[in-house]
Formats: sequence, C-alpha cells, structure tokens
Amino acid sequence: MRRIGAAIVSLAVFLAVWKLVSVIGGYPVYILPPPEEVVARAARAVGSGILWEHSAVTLLEIVLGFAVGATTAILTGIALGKSVLVERVLSPYIVAAQAVPILALAPLLDIWFGGGLLARVVICALIVFFPIAIATMVGIRSTDPLLAEMLRSLGATNAQRTRLLEVPSALPVIFGGLRVGVTLAVIGAVVAEWAGASTGLGVLINIANQGLFDTPLMFVALATLAVIGLAFYGLVVVVERRLLSH
Amino acid sequence: MSSQPNPRTGLDVTIRDVGVRFAASGGDVQALADCSLDIGAGSFTVIIGPNGCGKSTLLRLVAGLLSPASGSVMVDGRVPQPGDGRTGLCFQQPRLVPWRSTVDNVALPLELTGVPVGERIERAARALDRVGLASAARIRPSGLSGGMAQRAALARALIGDPPVLLLDEPFSALDALTRETFNDELQRLWLERRRTVILVTHSVSEAIALADRVVVMTPRPGHVARTVEVDLSRPRPAELLGDPRAAELAVEVRAALGEGHALELQPWAEQDGAA
Repeated sequence: MRRIGAAIVSLAVFLAVWKLVSVIGGYPVYILPPPEEVVARAARAVGSGILWEHSAVTLLEIVLGFAVGATTAILTGIALGKSVLVERVLSPYIVAAQAVPILALAPLLDIWFGGGLLARVVICALIVFFPIAIATMVGIRSTDPLLAEMLRSLGATNAQRTRLLEVPSALPVIFGGLRVGVTLAVIGAVVAEWAGASTGLGVLINIANQGLFDTPLMFVALATLAVIGLAFYGLVVVVERRLLSH
Repeated sequence: MSSQPNPRTGLDVTIRDVGVRFAASGGDVQALADCSLDIGAGSFTVIIGPNGCGKSTLLRLVAGLLSPASGSVMVDGRVPQPGDGRTGLCFQQPRLVPWRSTVDNVALPLELTGVPVGERIERAARALDRVGLASAARIRPSGLSGGMAQRAALARALIGDPPVLLLDEPFSALDALTRETFNDELQRLWLERRRTVILVTHSVSEAIALADRVVVMTPRPGHVARTVEVDLSRPRPAELLGDPRAAELAVEVRAALGEGHALELQPWAEQDGAA
C-alpha cells in the first residue's frame, strides 16, 4: 500500500514538473508537448489500434530475444565459471563483441539473418547476453569452497556439483545480471527494429519523429517502451523473490 | 556408482609411509612425511597434535579426497574413493547447504547415489531422530544453533551407514557443555554400532574420554610420534576424567605432545608409533 502510494506521488511530481517546464518554456508541441497532449495522443493511438499493432511486435522480440539471450548467457557463464580454459579461449571474443557498438553491427546482422523476426531476436539476444553471462560466471566462481569440498567428499559428479551447488549458489548474482539484461532487451528490440523492420515501437518512433513530426506520438511510443521495461523488470524481481525466498 | 558394503563392524584402515606435499606461496610444504598408522576394524582412534601437523590431511587421505604423493592409504585393502560408501566425513564446520532444509541436507548423500525421494527423506528423518534433531527437520540451517548444525552434519555423515567414520574436529567450535554431551552421544552411537572411528582433536581430555588409542602427531612434516592405548572401561562418563588412571594417560599424551615439539628440531629422532 505504502509502495503504491510512493509510486503515485512520484509520478504526480514527474508530470507536474514536465507540465511546468512546458508552460514556462512555452515550447511548441513538436519540441516538448505538455503531458495532457501526450495522453490525448495516446488515447487516439490506442483507439486506432496502431499502438497495439507496434507494441505486440516489440513485445514478441523482447520476450524471444531475452529468452534466447539469457539462456545462452547462463549456459556460457556456467562454462566460463567452471573452466579456466574455456574462459581464456572465449572471454576475449565476448569482451571484444561487447566493446563493438551493436548499433553499428545491427544492419549487418539484419542482412545475415534474413531481415525478419529472427534477425531482430538475434540482435536483441546479443545485447542481453553480456551482463548475464558475466554475472553467471562471477556467481559460479563465488561458490563456497567448503561446500564444494563437502560435495566432493560425498562423491558428487561434476554435473551434480553444478546442479546442486554451483548454480543455486550463483542465483542471486545471476538475477542481478537478469535485471540488467531485461532492460537491455527493450533497447535491443528497438535497435534491431531501426536496422530494418516495418512494425514495432522503434519503427513507430521513427515514423512519428522523422515522417510526421508527430512528437506527441513519439512520446507515446517512448512511454510505452518505458512501461514495458518496468513491467519486465518487475516480473524478474517477482520470480527472483519466489526462487530465493530462503 | 557406490557399492554399499555393510559389514557388522567397521573396516580396517592402513596408512603406510605416506608423504603429502602442498604447493604454497613460499614454496612447497611437506604436510606429511613417512606417516604410518594401522587402524583396526571397529576401533576408536583419536588423532591429536599441534596445528599444521597434517591431522586433517590424514583424514582427507582416508576419505579419498587426496592421494598421497608417496606411500599408500587403504581402507579394507582398497584405495578409498569419495562416494564409495565406505567412509563418512564430518568437517570442522557443519557445511550445510543454506537453501536446503535440515532433512534435505541430511538426505543429500542419498540423493547423489539416486535413492528415490520418498525413501531418502524417510531415512534422513530417522537419522535426524538418532541425533536428537527430529523437530528441526524442516528448518533451514540459518535457524539452527551451532550445536544443532553440527549434529545435522553428523547425521549426514552417518546416513549412508559408512563403516568408517572420519571426524575432523567436529566439536571444536562448540561450547564446553555442548561438547561434553556431544562426546557422550558419539560414544553411545559407537557402542551401538562399532564403526571404525577416526577423530581429530586438539583436546587431550576429549581424546582420553573417547579413544581406544590416542595417536600423537609431530608438527610439520607430520608423522606419528607415539600412540597411547587408553585402557579405561566403557561407557566412560564425563566424571571419569577425574579417575587417576585417566589422569596418568593424560600426562602421557601431553608428554608425547611435548616430545613432538622437540622432534621438530631432531627429525631423525626415534619414532615408531604405528604399532
């Protein structure tokens, strides 16, 4: 109850400041639309169905990109954490790939992967990958050596040690990576759409901004992305709380 | 993967001319050198010695967690392997898995060997009952006192019914009173079922209270300085330590510990503990 109250107050203050700035500055709508203008535009976008049409595509990209990216990242992170050899061989490529701006690579990836949903999922997964893989590696490495020795004394196989000790004890750190990763998935989806797509919230931003000079619609798209990001982040937190309730 | 031998008594343990080295920052450390010890099936042996004399290393060798660089370690004539079901190891710290309930912690060894969930929980519950922890089955380790946690660890070491029980200072972190009850219970468990028990400790009185034979080790590189047979009747209550014979034995063990320190300067000095 208190948390919800705080969230409402914080939103109200944000809207009030926004309104104040737009009134004092006297900006034209195409520079900074006031909040009520954006709300009205949002109502029309919902009514005409374009908001849902674009959101549905972006949501699908986020869900698939995050699922693929997080799964491969956790598996890679486990291998990196368990084997110094794997880390030595793979980590230069992983770090180098992370240092290259994905924005520059995205058009190329779009061509390589056929320009469809697959290409966008791959781009989104790549952006999601790094923080989750690194978090998993660090988490696996931080396994209590005393517990590891205890399991070894019971004759646990390598797979049993991973399943029963290393992964569970890495979970809090892995979830730290998942929280970062899920917000990056939203950015990944938009970047992927900019590289080549005909629908999606990223596309809607471009249409509104460059095609129509419809700044309120651009704000609607941005706000929708923010809400999606918050919702997925919240979902990860809820799963984390349920899994780590001890 | 693990055979489950279940003889009426324990198994004998033979340690022959064992040497162990560890790589350390300042060069290799010789933890054990020419260490020999014969432990009879079903006997209660207490190993005592100063810090760093390789007592824990010796237990790890018997548990199969380490292989000796030279010499041999045998349990019933075979090289021990972790998970071979012949040894149960209880560490200085309880080492319970924090996200598992007490009963799930105790059932862990059975889970590793593929015992079905119903059976392993039932057996774990019985093992907990034996160490007086039945009411704590559903509690996570963070809710257990130090003594309770160590009891759970003992139950875990015992659940596979290993013929050889290895105890690495399991009571050292407990207060004196808890420790005494613990010793009583350990003795009772051993009298019920004569496993081979090897207990490592720092405490002379604990050694006298529990052992058939006290093995005194020298400082690094560790080997057996002397063994002292404890010819006191069982069960031995706590008051027994006031007994004159017990006092005599304690003096003998302390003297051997003192010699051990002297031996540090004269590594060639006579030693023949492995009766």
